[in-house]
Amino acid sequence: MMKVWVVYPLRVAFASVPAALIVSALAITFLPPSVSFWVSGAVSAFSAFLFVAYAWGRHAGGLLVAPAIALLFCMNIFPLLWSFGLSFFHYRANRLAPPRFAGLHYYEKVLSDPVVWDRLQVTAKMVVLTVSLQMVIGFLLAMLFAKQFPLRRVLLILVLTPMMLSFVAVGAFFRYYYEPTFGLVSQAVRVFTGEPYVLLQSAAGATAGIVFADAWMWSPFVMLLVLAGLVSVPKYLYEAASIDRISHWRRFWSITFPYVRSLLMLALLFRTIEAFKLFDVVFLLTEGGPGTSTETIAVYVYRVSFQYFKTSESAALAYILLFTVIVLTNLYLYFANKRNRT
Amino acid sequence: MKHGNTLRAAVCGSAAAAILSAGLFTAAPVLAEDIVLRMAVPDWPPTRIMKDLFDKGYKAKSGNNVTLEPDFIPWPDYYTRLSGSLTSGEKRYNMAVSDSQWLGAFIEGGYYQKLNDAIEADPELQTIMDGLNPALVDAYSTYPHKSKNYYGFPQMPDVLVAYYRSDIFCDAGEAAAFKAKYNADLPCTPEEMNNADWDMVQKFGEFFGRKKGENLSGAALDDDFYGIAYQAGKGYDFSTMQIASMIWQHGGDIWDETKAPTGKAEGVVNSPEAVKGFEHYLSLLQYMPPVVKTGTMDIFKQDELFREGKVAYMINWIGFAESSIDAKTSKVSDKVNFAMAAGLKKSDGSIDRTYNIGGQPFVLMTWNDENTNTEALEFVKWWLSPETQVAFAKAGGQSGLKSVYGDASYNTFRPWNHAFGASISNQQDIWHIPEFFELLVQQQEEFDKAITGQQDAKTALDAIAKFQEELLLEAGHIE
Repeated sequence: MMKVWVVYPLRVAFASVPAALIVSALAITFLPPSVSFWVSGAVSAFSAFLFVAYAWGRHAGGLLVAPAIALLFCMNIFPLLWSFGLSFFHYRANRLAPPRFAGLHYYEKVLSDPVVWDRLQVTAKMVVLTVSLQMVIGFLLAMLFAKQFPLRRVLLILVLTPMMLSFVAVGAFFRYYYEPTFGLVSQAVRVFTGEPYVLLQSAAGATAGIVFADAWMWSPFVMLLVLAGLVSVPKYLYEAASIDRISHWRRFWSITFPYVRSLLMLALLFRTIEAFKLFDVVFLLTEGGPGTSTETIAVYVYRVSFQYFKTSESAALAYILLFTVIVLTNLYLYFANKRNRT
Repeated sequence: MKHGNTLRAAVCGSAAAAILSAGLFTAAPVLAEDIVLRMAVPDWPPTRIMKDLFDKGYKAKSGNNVTLEPDFIPWPDYYTRLSGSLTSGEKRYNMAVSDSQWLGAFIEGGYYQKLNDAIEADPELQTIMDGLNPALVDAYSTYPHKSKNYYGFPQMPDVLVAYYRSDIFCDAGEAAAFKAKYNADLPCTPEEMNNADWDMVQKFGEFFGRKKGENLSGAALDDDFYGIAYQAGKGYDFSTMQIASMIWQHGGDIWDETKAPTGKAEGVVNSPEAVKGFEHYLSLLQYMPPVVKTGTMDIFKQDELFREGKVAYMINWIGFAESSIDAKTSKVSDKVNFAMAAGLKKSDGSIDRTYNIGGQPFVLMTWNDENTNTEALEFVKWWLSPETQVAFAKAGGQSGLKSVYGDASYNTFRPWNHAFGASISNQQDIWHIPEFFELLVQQQEEFDKAITGQQDAKTALDAIAKFQEELLLEAGHIE
């Protein structure tokens, strides 16, 4: 062993990985959980030790980042892989029955479930509405704050505040804001109509309420990114344009917009991914109601996972969503890069 | 060499210490153990009072030093937090205050302990079980429902009662106007209010709905005012509890788990009686504060509106009563009275008040060690002793012990107690099977569509019946 270790240290370390996996699998199969947990832990630790021993004195940089990667693996990647594995088994987290292999059953079930398609349509509607509203408002705010004016810094801080609030606070705030008996919106409308105003009673009203709350919270984020683009435009370009007496419109399209475009794409990307996962505001404001008209796919995954405890089904659904977001993101990046090249 | 010496010294030292401490332990008398009862509880007055009573007066008979450590969790998150803790395997809690409908899910998961052996071995527990109202034992303890397997003891039994504004209902001017309009007497005392049926409640709704600037009890209103309120919220069970009651009163039924596997959902859940009951429920929503149209008027919103002085008559759980008569939390603290919740008047003149049961049992966890479990059962015995139950009732709680709530003095503890004892035997429960949450969520969604005016009662109940039939067939509860 010693000689092997001296001659092939890296290979030994690598060979220890499948060995550790086999030992863990055997331990999980044949030993009670309380024992197999420690056996698997010990063989994993031994395997990790071999890598560390190899890298000692050879790859100091790698060793320094290793703890961070190990932590990431334990807290993030491993649970992710575990839940991915669960999506191929019959398993419910609140039952005693051990997992049984199910193959692609849950993927098939989820993809052919009309409820899922309905929730996806609701989500798509929300994404389109809220992201476009955020882009427009964020852009206009950025144009405003790109100029110097009195109290600009104070106003900027105020405008950025919603983004820093917790989701729960925003949800609770808007719940009262729209409340027909005490709420500000209802009180204001009542001055003119004499009747309390019940925004959240219809599907359209509830959607509007959610979109507005989400846009209120996240438009400042778009503004921040666009503002960074705006201040990076060199002044001399505007000076040259004014010498040439170029129109404001042309100045915007030929000078300002190209500088901002890539950041705008970035904002669009971030906000689309986030809006796709829209949960907090919906859950706090309407719980997906009236009926299920504002129940986004994220709320539905929550229900399947933590209310119905269909663990495998919710895992399969979550991976399909992850896949969708990855595809969307790549499409975005592809088109963004293509444009930049042309 | 130096190292060797140090090592030897250390080994000798630790050996000596070990011998000494072992000697000490064997020589000392049996020491009182520190035992902590960790309990998941919803955060509301009944559990806060329990903690308070425990800290003031609990002494374990065993001589152990027992402390109660409740985790106060807000109601809306309670199911998720408790189920998260149980399923994660962290084994954090020794006990929990569990909603009765969760029994199936958490017993099948292997978390809640079966108590039959403990009860059989302990005459004190048998006396307690015999002394409880049988409706409570069925709902809080048995799984399968109404079987002889016991899993829980009542922590706080709760019923739906009527809260009403005595300043308005006992106002002479309002009574005269009411008499002139309906040729009926406006109830004022609890005894009179106990006779109010749904037709009377509809009249309250119509009569007391007033606009800003109009008069109420002789004073001009500075805001709109509403006649009635009951639960109509989409979250959790915040419409089912009232709707199921209404359906039962009209002679309809929900899917009855005790009739499994032959009892069907289709044809029962959407029977003509059930549709009539639900239609009756929907017909009264027009008299409620406008938030009802959004489907978010849950029990908390109702409670808030009532304490803000916006509603004349409301049906809600007794659990909220304490805060409605507390001047710190209620604008109407000195103007509230209580009565039995309204029911449906039958052809023989009697009023059917079948209602959905509230309140929660204690459960013990399967992973408790022997000492903790013994102390947990001792704690239950203390809690369900007549002395503690009386102290709890005096502080604003309720008791399920017949000897306690049946005693004449019980009604003097709190202004709503007279309605509790009279209502408790009219209580039924919905389902306890593990699929409870799926049934509930879908039902709440369909109810919500009807409440917000997107569909009628028949369509909603048809959709619920169809969904339940399929789900229950798949789960093997219907053959």
